[in-house]
Amino acid sequence: MTEQQLTKGERIVLKELVAISDQVSASILSQKVQEKEERVISILNALAERGLVELTVSELINLRLTEEGKDYAISWLPEVRLFGAVQELGGKASMEDAISKSGLTQKEKGIAMNWAQKNGWLGIIRDQGRAVLEAKVGEADSPIMRVLQKLNEGEENLPEHLASSAQVAIQRGLVTEYVTKVFQTNLIPAKLGSISSLLSETQDGIVDLTPEMLSSGSWRDTSFRPYNVSADPPYVNYGRKHPYAEFNDWLKEILVGLGFSEWFGPYVETELWNNDALFVPQDHVAREVQDQFGVTKPFDHGDISNVRYFKQVKAVHENGGNTGSIGWEAPFSKEVSSRLVLRSHTTPVSMRYLAEHKESPQKMFIVDRNFRAESLSARHAQEFNQCEGIIMDKGLTLKDLMGYLSEIVRRVGIKKMKFKPGQFPFTEPSVECFAKHDVLGWIEVAPGGIFRPEVTYPLGLKDPVLAWGIGSGRLYMASMGINDIRELYSRDLAWIRRKYFVR
Amino acid sequence: MIVGCLIDSLMKLIGKKLTIKKLEDTLFLLKAEIEKVEGNEIEIEINPDRQDMLSVEGIARAVRAFLGIKKGFPNFPVKKSGKSVVVDKGLERIRKYIACGIVKGVEINEDLLIQYMHLQESLTTTHGRNRRKASIGLYIHDDLKYPVRYFTEKPEKIIFPPLGYEEEMNGPTIIEKHEKGVAYGSIISHHKKWPLLTDSGGKVLSLPPVINSNMLGRLTTETSNIFVEVTGTHLPTVNQALNIMVTSLAERSGKIESLVVQYPDGSKHTTPDLKAKVMKVSKDDIAALTGMELSDEEVIECLEKMCYGAKISAKGMVTVQVPRYRTDVLHAVDIIEDIAIGYGFDRIIPTMPSTMTAGRLLPLTRLKNKARDLMVGLGYQEVMSYIMTSPVTLNDKMLRSSEIVETGNPKSRDYSVLRNSLLPILLDFATQNQHVDLPQRVFEVGDIVFPDELAETRTNQVSSVCGLVTDVNVNLTNMMTEIGFFLRGMALDGRFSFQNAEDPSFIKGRCARIAIDKELVGIFGEISPEVLSNFELGTPVIAFEITLPKNGEW
Repeated sequence: MTEQQLTKGERIVLKELVAISDQVSASILSQKVQEKEERVISILNALAERGLVELTVSELINLRLTEEGKDYAISWLPEVRLFGAVQELGGKASMEDAISKSGLTQKEKGIAMNWAQKNGWLGIIRDQGRAVLEAKVGEADSPIMRVLQKLNEGEENLPEHLASSAQVAIQRGLVTEYVTKVFQTNLIPAKLGSISSLLSETQDGIVDLTPEMLSSGSWRDTSFRPYNVSADPPYVNYGRKHPYAEFNDWLKEILVGLGFSEWFGPYVETELWNNDALFVPQDHVAREVQDQFGVTKPFDHGDISNVRYFKQVKAVHENGGNTGSIGWEAPFSKEVSSRLVLRSHTTPVSMRYLAEHKESPQKMFIVDRNFRAESLSARHAQEFNQCEGIIMDKGLTLKDLMGYLSEIVRRVGIKKMKFKPGQFPFTEPSVECFAKHDVLGWIEVAPGGIFRPEVTYPLGLKDPVLAWGIGSGRLYMASMGINDIRELYSRDLAWIRRKYFVR
Repeated sequence: MIVGCLIDSLMKLIGKKLTIKKLEDTLFLLKAEIEKVEGNEIEIEINPDRQDMLSVEGIARAVRAFLGIKKGFPNFPVKKSGKSVVVDKGLERIRKYIACGIVKGVEINEDLLIQYMHLQESLTTTHGRNRRKASIGLYIHDDLKYPVRYFTEKPEKIIFPPLGYEEEMNGPTIIEKHEKGVAYGSIISHHKKWPLLTDSGGKVLSLPPVINSNMLGRLTTETSNIFVEVTGTHLPTVNQALNIMVTSLAERSGKIESLVVQYPDGSKHTTPDLKAKVMKVSKDDIAALTGMELSDEEVIECLEKMCYGAKISAKGMVTVQVPRYRTDVLHAVDIIEDIAIGYGFDRIIPTMPSTMTAGRLLPLTRLKNKARDLMVGLGYQEVMSYIMTSPVTLNDKMLRSSEIVETGNPKSRDYSVLRNSLLPILLDFATQNQHVDLPQRVFEVGDIVFPDELAETRTNQVSSVCGLVTDVNVNLTNMMTEIGFFLRGMALDGRFSFQNAEDPSFIKGRCARIAIDKELVGIFGEISPEVLSNFELGTPVIAFEITLPKNGEW
């Protein structure tokens, strides 16, 4: 590989380094070449990457006055001023006199009293029932004051004996520490030969192409100065979408492509839609407080807006209604039906959709949030996204359901799958689609089923409804190599900036 | 529900030694899964619809039939014992129903005893809804004097040694001290009188559904004749629990005998009733639901592999005998699913129907996507947050007093309410990222929820866009320019305006409302230092939040 040409900046810096021919700091170097220090450091980085210079970084801790510290450096510390006032008043003075003489503010007064006593400069004695300040030393010696003054005069390094006082000043918020990075550089002796040959190359040419050059055609008479176009670009943070949001966008795109229309439903649902409509018995464990969030404030019950539908659901639960089912053979409570809960799945959305779209064919999907009363941990979260859909048409069967499930999981990138009979209160038959994952083995990714007559009959539906779901979070975690469910909704901006979803 | 058992004992019951792989594949096709294998021990997860498979005996029965080792309706002969159980008045509102049976000559040893107890526990937990709906007791038949009496008694007068204790205790003491009393006492303790089971000699069997007595109710490895009793509040559940229990014991060489339960209204029930429940399923329905055209022989074969009895009756109808231990057969579709399972889900060839529909996104989703694209164009990083948060974040820290939708059973206060604004969520986000490189420009598009007394669900849910910038110094004029770009990109040029506003979350004089055609839809400004300090944020913040129209059109 031929040695790459130098950029203009690199050339200037290298020339200067050759002239200095010793180790030098970036700040001195930047003064010599009259460039900003950051630019010089960036050039040195590029040169170091090419193996031409050595660049070492060390951190220096320096001290700097805070706003408050600056004030005191000029107007003196409150305790010094208070002591001075007492001295001027004859070594003994009432509190009021001393304060007014010293001109301390209310806030400073407390600071002054506190430190003057702590330093042993002033004491409080009782004189005829009044509190009186009395000087206990002839002269107030304040090393902190010396720290402030030295820093204010621009000194960066304090003498050793002031180190502990500087710590006190830091604790009092008068001084802060700040870290500066010092970059030291020198030429690598072994490379001196190639450096001089690089420097001997002529480096004339155009830096910036201008409209004038283009219109006059003057660019034809010259050449272009090269850039270092093989350098690694730095990491920067521009605007981007969240990787999990992009994953869900991708799912939506697949489903629209398969002819599904998106639908929407509320997070807060009545139990009628969340459970009753899906033939979940009213005493089912999934409805209990350890599984399902109850909404209690400001309202705990909602409306049963469609009374006819409610009656059909009630009949189906109590005795099967006209479906040929025996139902749950137990009384059905309207109070339970109208209770408000956070929806525990997206299936009530499918039911609300069907209530408004009763004629075949229909294909609907939703990708949205659901809630379960779980404590947040690596394996459980109180919220999860579900991707779910339904297909209603004449003559649909279990084989068709398996066909749809296969097609959907294939499109999200799963090559190997198998079916297991499943169980959900609202579908019969039910299936669970398992996918083969390279690392995790067989994982359940897509449950599905055909809505039971007890579910479709109260809505007056005549044709079979296939329902399926995809655990969007689980699929995303598998594809991103995430093990902790909390990372789905990560609060770590650095992580989000670094992660991407590409498919 | 997990069933643990010994592999050799399971294989012996199945009647054939299977490899673990073969067993795993078979169970998978029967809705069950192997959870763990360790030496001779195995744990199998059972789906909650198959209560009859909650014992090793039930699992073996299902596997045996599925593999064709012993197919068809399992006949459990029931002999009349001539014995009876007398139910007194007063139980109607407490624990109305009881069903009983006797199983004689049951194999028993220490392992089996543990298995039987485990089934009893599993059944009462799931099927019996933690004993509330049904609970099961097993007793030493040979020590009992029939008829058994089921009646109510004042708690103080109930005196017997509960299981695991030698000394006698009275009712209230048991509820207070005994571990089962503490766990289940609340089911009966609010009643003035409690249910009690004794034999005709007055010896206590149990205090249902809490605890057996330590004498009649303590089975040992000597007990091969067992009296089984189920009490509860729901008759079908009570009968099903009894049926599952006695048929499981019968798989261990037990011979089942029935008793007569005499209710105070004079009615008499003979339990257990294990005669098949007969249902009819049409071949057309089978084909319509499964999509498979099966021959008569295939249908019968599939049903027999699932422990049903089946024969073809006239006109393409199948008469099916359903075992009484099946709790999940409510409708013909349940039998049809079992036909598909009997056929084998691994053998069903999926088909792709040609249902033709045109797909589309919701207009609101398209608008949200537009908002996200504009925000990314403005250089903001998208974040995704939980919908649930805390009232402290939404109100206290923000100096707001907004109405919030709250849950009654949160697991933590941090996630107890639904967010009604995105701004506090993003401020909280910024707080947690103070160590991350500045500037930080983040946005979220998501739903927020408000109480709404007139709505069906008493809530109003809308989508919102929030953008937030934090840096060592921030510039509100820049953000106004950005909001202008955003709204004009939403085709709102000429329709939006900014109006001076005061809001406790923002610095006075640095806050405005955003209106579209005079309707207020949002707010922007510089966050007040008090709010910043509430969030413990160390850098200044400017932010805006705009709600999106529900139908996706401004």
